[in-house]
Amino acid sequence: MKVELFKDFTIADYHKWLREEKISLPELIEAFLERIKSIDPDLHAFLEINQQAALTEADILVKGDSFDKELAPLWGIPIAIKDNICVQGLPTTCGSRILRNYRSPYNATVIERLKEAGAIIIGKTNMDEFAMGSSTENSAFGPTRNPFDLERVAGGSSGGSAASVAALEVPISLGSDTGGSIRQPASFCGVVGLRPTYGRVSRYGLVSFASSLDQIGPIARSVDDCTRVFEIISGKDEQDSTCAPYPPFSRNDIPTEEEIRKLKIGLPREYFSGEVEKGVLELIEQSIDLLRKNNLETIEVRLPHTDYALEAYYIVSPCEASSNLARYDGVLYGFREKEGEDLESMYLSSRTRGFGEEVKRRIILGTYCLSSGYYDEYYLKGMKVRTLVRHDFEQVFEECDLLLTPVSPCLPFNLGEKTKDFYQMYLTDIFTIPSAMAGLPALSMNCGYCDHLPVGLQIIGPPFREELILGLAGFLEKRLSLTPPFPNFHQ
Amino acid sequence: MDNYYVTIGLEVHCQLLTTTKMFCRCKTDYFGKAPNTLVCPVCLGLPGSLPVLNEQALRLAILTAQALNCRILPRVVFHRKNYFYPDLPKGYQISQYDLPIGVEGKIEFDFKGNREAVRIKRVHAEEDAGKLVHEGLNLPFGCSGVDFNRCGIPLVEIVTEPDLHSPEEARECLVMLRNVVRYIGVSDGNMEEGSLRCDANVSVSPSPEKMGTKVEVKNMNSFRSVFRALRYEVDRQVELLEKGESLYQETRHWDEARGITLSARGKEEAEDYRYFPDPDLLPITLEDSFLKEIKAAISELPLTRKERLMIEHELPENEANILVQDKTLADFFEEALKEFNQPRLLCNWMLTEVLKNLNEAGIDITESKVSPQQLAELLRMIDKGEISGTIAKGVLEEMFTTGLDAREIVSKKGISLISNEKELEKVVLEVVEKNPQSVADYLSGKEKALHFLIGQVMKETKGQANPEIVKDILLKKLASEE
Amino acid sequence: MERKVSLAEIKTIAKLSKLSFSEQELANFSEDVNSVISHFEKLNRLDLQGVSPTSHISWGQPPLNPDEAVVWENRDWVLEQAPEVCGRLIVVPKIVEK
Ligand SMILES: [Mg+2]
Ligand SMILES: [Zn+2]
Repeated sequence: MKVELFKDFTIADYHKWLREEKISLPELIEAFLERIKSIDPDLHAFLEINQQAALTEADILVKGDSFDKELAPLWGIPIAIKDNICVQGLPTTCGSRILRNYRSPYNATVIERLKEAGAIIIGKTNMDEFAMGSSTENSAFGPTRNPFDLERVAGGSSGGSAASVAALEVPISLGSDTGGSIRQPASFCGVVGLRPTYGRVSRYGLVSFASSLDQIGPIARSVDDCTRVFEIISGKDEQDSTCAPYPPFSRNDIPTEEEIRKLKIGLPREYFSGEVEKGVLELIEQSIDLLRKNNLETIEVRLPHTDYALEAYYIVSPCEASSNLARYDGVLYGFREKEGEDLESMYLSSRTRGFGEEVKRRIILGTYCLSSGYYDEYYLKGMKVRTLVRHDFEQVFEECDLLLTPVSPCLPFNLGEKTKDFYQMYLTDIFTIPSAMAGLPALSMNCGYCDHLPVGLQIIGPPFREELILGLAGFLEKRLSLTPPFPNFHQ
Repeated sequence: MDNYYVTIGLEVHCQLLTTTKMFCRCKTDYFGKAPNTLVCPVCLGLPGSLPVLNEQALRLAILTAQALNCRILPRVVFHRKNYFYPDLPKGYQISQYDLPIGVEGKIEFDFKGNREAVRIKRVHAEEDAGKLVHEGLNLPFGCSGVDFNRCGIPLVEIVTEPDLHSPEEARECLVMLRNVVRYIGVSDGNMEEGSLRCDANVSVSPSPEKMGTKVEVKNMNSFRSVFRALRYEVDRQVELLEKGESLYQETRHWDEARGITLSARGKEEAEDYRYFPDPDLLPITLEDSFLKEIKAAISELPLTRKERLMIEHELPENEANILVQDKTLADFFEEALKEFNQPRLLCNWMLTEVLKNLNEAGIDITESKVSPQQLAELLRMIDKGEISGTIAKGVLEEMFTTGLDAREIVSKKGISLISNEKELEKVVLEVVEKNPQSVADYLSGKEKALHFLIGQVMKETKGQANPEIVKDILLKKLASEE
Repeated sequence: MERKVSLAEIKTIAKLSKLSFSEQELANFSEDVNSVISHFEKLNRLDLQGVSPTSHISWGQPPLNPDEAVVWENRDWVLEQAPEVCGRLIVVPKIVEK
């Protein structure tokens, strides 16, 4: 069976087919494995394919369940997992040489929940090393390419998760978002990606980059699928202190179309500036018009500290990262190299050879900003600016229900285009960073194509109001009537 | 020497008596366990793992701060202390920094007849590191081993202000700190086993207005070594100043075997720990009701108890002091007192015979086979004249080994006091005949000779004679000799 | 561009981070850090007097662990993966105790 058949499928469709025995579960899994085998050498979305275990899992599911009762919510659905989320027995490299041979001895909370819901882990996806980057070019194992144009980047850091879903190597995946790492690659690959409210999904088992910003979220080919995965992974967790004491998200909370028409959509002026590529801006404005035609009210709003959020982010996240990455020292796990006989040389050579350039740059930057005499000047200042950014959003959400903005100021760029100037790369996240700094939920979805390249729009909501975001996203998806991507780069 | 002002501050780490570690659910009873068996992703710092604070560790840390009269800060915030060391798997220690659990406390103790009050600067909670092993277990040459069983065990760190002015005073303060943590049950405070660790800051100065150069002394593993190390360090510093040399701010290690302190780090640059709030642990707001609930558990503290024992039971200060040093000893005393209300006698027995037996067995009172009730029964038997004190000592010894009641031992061995006057008269006659000189001495007014004669009778009867009756018979007999 | 971070400082920072660099790399990283730091200057335009820092995003009291033990069954896995072990000990180059 060819996956072309499934290109417009949602999870509900797969379940229908399975139930009607139009396809068996092992056949379905085989079809995806086949697809991966055939196209991934070009795409390089995967770092590890869990072939045998996925098939075994499928057998177990088939033997264990009968079709006459209700299937588990993600029964038999293959899912790809970003390689910074721990799956017991599988590698968790975080795209880094320093963890090249590391296999996690435990499951992340989200993995436990996915397995309970019947999902089948099909592999681990490529990413920028330790999620530091916006193009997946910082992977120690080579970049992931954009399925719409193999010479372009897939975005990052969850580039592998987004590209694999866009190319239908897998119908759904998990990514992680620190400053835009789910939303930007989702935008570049024309799929749906949700960054939940900070604390809505457990981080237990997500390898920390910047703990106060990291969130796991789903990437999918439709808003509905995104919703279904989110429903499974959300909810409090006793193993994560930062996980909010909030009930899991429920699809039943999604507003009706009638209610959606009553929403007031804010358009922050700072996000529609000259920095945005014209083609991107045009498509976003088309979507806004579409909403207006459907009687939604839009208002211009101001988020005056937007311009400062990026700088604050590049203080806060390297500070936390420099400490979070101290554990990779060659002592207990991962890469160890001994140049001399002494401990110091083991530390130095393991870390110096284990980490890539961008990671080292951020470790140095973070260590500097925390070091004696600079804490107040940088770290503390960054945290204060973060407060101002939060206040901006709090005030804006008094005036409107949701915000609509571009995801990225630019279209997917060419491989190597921004690697020379790392600050240019940092700037690609200017529209995803502020909401992350405020801990807010935000979604990226395709709103059309410019020169055959997908363009994403972003919906940002108040804390724990994912149902509004997903509601509006579904409303738009229906009216934009864009089919899920199926880039045909491989003949 | 007398021209110098000594200033000492203590930094004490106590292991908290929790069942599980500070941020994970691994057990804390690592003593004697195979290496790396009490571990999990969290305490090993595996990628992706996250800490969750143990509620009991929080309670015990708060309790410690409360018992030391600290002001409790309204929010509990943990910071990361960043440094690389193989026993620290995350590359940072979760500790507290500018917002400790408690600040501005004080501890009181009696020293040379005065009530001293030392200010407590701060009390904070933190996790312990793993243990390094340097030899044995077939370690390859040129290598060390790491065992993470201890890693993540909750500690409370108590920092005093530099209010101590002699090694003796510092030792007394430390003893009181140890007693307090034991009294409130937050730690077993055992220095030898490392559940209580003490570092000290020492400085000497020719003038009380100006503090001298602060030297940190580490690696002191007993109260004795704290005292010796501080004594040594004070002398060393005075000597240097006398020679006109200057002191460095440095860390020095106490070398127990050689009895000296050695510079640890030389003049290398100070560590930069880059403290910042741990983003994995949200601050906890402490409710008043929660704090009150914890405080309610504070039992009587050693100093108060000592005073009470002195007033209620008329114990001398010295003895009361020894009793309260060890909460379990004082508990035992008060328990026995319920059934044998002669505090002075009981106290004497406790501090001599009971302690002697415990020492010989190398156990502490909680492990004793003799209960307070059993001790009380033994003392009642002496009191009623059923056995002599000498006999009782032997009986107690046996009680300690067998755990049997005094009465049982006495009846089984057939030992009880010979009160039969006929029998005793016989022995008394023999003794009087054998010791004419002593009889003469007594008759010439030497009272001491009577005690000698009584002793001889006791000796003949192997201590089984009732000394009161022996005395009566002897006096009668001697009166007839006159 | 005004250099805020000296080469010597970067050396110290590298040492603190347990990273070793060639002179060329040091120069590059120092330039990178200086370039980022120069962007941070922008923050000085803001009046941050009286603004409290947001170091955590918190929506309520965090969960606490009960003081009850749970044994982790997979502990030996870690030893199997460790770079060097001796029995159950993790082996590292000889440490001269600080
Ligand atoms: Mg400490
Ligand atoms: Zn543990």
